Amino acid sequence: MSARAATAALLAAALVYPLLFFGDGAWLVRSNYAIDVGMLALFAAFLGQSWNVAGGFAGLTSFGHVLFFGTGAYCSTILHVGHGVNPWFGWVAATTAGAALGAAVGHLTFRVGLRGSYFALITLAFAETFRVLANSVGFTRGGLGILIPLDQRAAALQFHDPIWFYYLALALCASGLAIAWWLTRSRFGTYLAAIRENEDAARALGIDVVRQKVRCLALSGAMAAAGGTFYAQKYLYIDPSIAFGVDRSVEMLLVAMIGGAGTVFGPLVGAGAVVALGEATRALSDARGLGLILYGLLLVAIVGFLPNGLVGLVRAARRDA
Amino acid sequence: MSMQTGRNSISRRRFLAGSTAVAGALAMPRIAGAQAAAVRIGLIHPVSGFVAYNGQQGRLGAVMAIDEVNQAGGIRALGGAKLEALLGDSQSKVEVGVSEVEKMNEAGVAAYVGCFQSPVGIAATQAAAKYGTPFVIDVGASDALVSRGLTNVFRLKPGFGRCVDDAIATLGELNKAAGSPAKSVVLVHESGEFGTGTAKLLAGKLPSIGLEAKELIAHDNPTRNFDNVALKIRALRADIVMMSNYQNEYVLLAKTLLQQKVNVAAMFSVLGGGFNYKFVREQPDVAEFMLDHNHWFNPKSTKAQALKKAVEAKGGLFTFEVYLAYNAVMLIADALERAGSADKAKLTAALAASTWTPEIMPYGPTRFVNGQNQGGQGATLQALKGDIEVVRPEAFASAAAVFPRPKA
Repeated sequence: MSARAATAALLAAALVYPLLFFGDGAWLVRSNYAIDVGMLALFAAFLGQSWNVAGGFAGLTSFGHVLFFGTGAYCSTILHVGHGVNPWFGWVAATTAGAALGAAVGHLTFRVGLRGSYFALITLAFAETFRVLANSVGFTRGGLGILIPLDQRAAALQFHDPIWFYYLALALCASGLAIAWWLTRSRFGTYLAAIRENEDAARALGIDVVRQKVRCLALSGAMAAAGGTFYAQKYLYIDPSIAFGVDRSVEMLLVAMIGGAGTVFGPLVGAGAVVALGEATRALSDARGLGLILYGLLLVAIVGFLPNGLVGLVRAARRDA
Repeated sequence: MSMQTGRNSISRRRFLAGSTAVAGALAMPRIAGAQAAAVRIGLIHPVSGFVAYNGQQGRLGAVMAIDEVNQAGGIRALGGAKLEALLGDSQSKVEVGVSEVEKMNEAGVAAYVGCFQSPVGIAATQAAAKYGTPFVIDVGASDALVSRGLTNVFRLKPGFGRCVDDAIATLGELNKAAGSPAKSVVLVHESGEFGTGTAKLLAGKLPSIGLEAKELIAHDNPTRNFDNVALKIRALRADIVMMSNYQNEYVLLAKTLLQQKVNVAAMFSVLGGGFNYKFVREQPDVAEFMLDHNHWFNPKSTKAQALKKAVEAKGGLFTFEVYLAYNAVMLIADALERAGSADKAKLTAALAASTWTPEIMPYGPTRFVNGQNQGGQGATLQALKGDIEVVRPEAFASAAAVFPRPKA
């Protein structure tokens, strides 16, 4: 099966999936839980893709990508709750804010030559700074968090039926895949690959390394911020820990690495594996945390023995065949 | 039909015994079929993650209540239907809590109990509202839980506002009775919604009892060292330290204040996450004279004492999560009896009209207004000689308060 045919089949399966479970006319069995799990996987894939754009395609390993996620979540929520801006417009504003913040962080760090582990740590520091700020300043309501009023209308970017959040997550995921695919085909993507493989060589070839990296981080930040708004509208409550908690940064990074960093489908495959694993192990919650231990061990095994992720495993199998 | 005796034939006695057994076996399914279907209760707690202990305690209390109802014959109005616990772990994550709601809905729950953390509770109750399933909050301090107009949400315990008002009144009364030795307060709180909300409310109300809030000091979860906070408190020369934090930070802060010899008239907490038997028994010197206004059982209730013994017999501690979750299930059981049905709408209506009195708590009859019980109240507690005593309200007091604490 060609890559194009596989993508089409995957997209068709994703479109059909919720119809198997939705409403009285469910093709298989009525199950909002199954739709919710699917939505979580697609959303995790999108967030993982946002990390992948920077960390996988350009080698900008970030430990604090939640910085952009939280900024997006707070931006649209404050605009909506504090100033009455429709969340759909807030979503655009949040995405723009994420891009601007990505550009600003990139400009500050890349201009002074920070890269590798230094860049990873500085992003972590930025995320922590934003978390502390969100806890301290009045307009975020500090630790009290912000509750978005319940208004289950599409016009308010809230839906009564979970299927619409599923399709929204699918749209985000598909746009993330399109961006990743574009990076494998475009000049910009080639610049990023050159920078990732050897930054000095890329510079010697005439690539404006700082500019391309700033553009890349802006793109990645915009994506993560869009994810932040989606989260806020789905769960209707954010606080500094939810918005800027380090565990979400780790989740974004893991999803991409487990699936295969720097590949188009890596985050999607990784998210599918992580969410499926999480749901399966959670069934063992009677054993008080055994599920989490098992989950952690499996993640260590995947990261340790599959350096190119699950996509790398598939590629190796194809080569051998 | 041959009924003769012989080696390979069947004796009359054996035939009668056999036919009785067969008849009994055939009748069994009919009897089993007549037994009412179990009523499923979804229990969503963070039994893993950074507040796992609290979540496990909540689950323990809820499961004990379910066992008690079942052992007493189940729900009589439903033909003795048993309660069945569906156990869920939110892992302290909002999205996992919501996922549990969806999963349990498909398993046919009649009601939910949870979730310990307010953010998880806020999202989970919204998810349950889609199905009109009643959700009883066992622990969850935020008043946002019951202020969004969701008719399916009920909270038996008093919320932030009531606890803070009662605590402030008690502190003012204790200070006044002692000749007003305390003039100022430093508030140390965890930086989440629970700690921040409580601290801000307290700071706003302290002037009403003649106390000045000198400073609010926030800390993260987890925090591993409070030395700087202790030094700051000493430098501020505050008379009272008020703390709102979870278990580990609560204990560490108290220990650090003792180690750093910060002499204050009182350490007073409202809904102090660490003020429980574990802390007071394991570290009696640190806990001695500390005051806390919290959810507490009625020490004069024989039923409460029996439940406490039962929990301790299991090797557990009788913490507030246990009896709040226990009460949440008992409230549902009472509503099921009155509704005479596990239908969600009827059960919700029965809960909304509840006048049930939680015998083990210092509460009056239940009266829900917008899902918040108006009949609940906390108790002011003090650690005295390695035990926890109720010092206010007077009607439930088991000891006299020591205020100010003797100088170290």
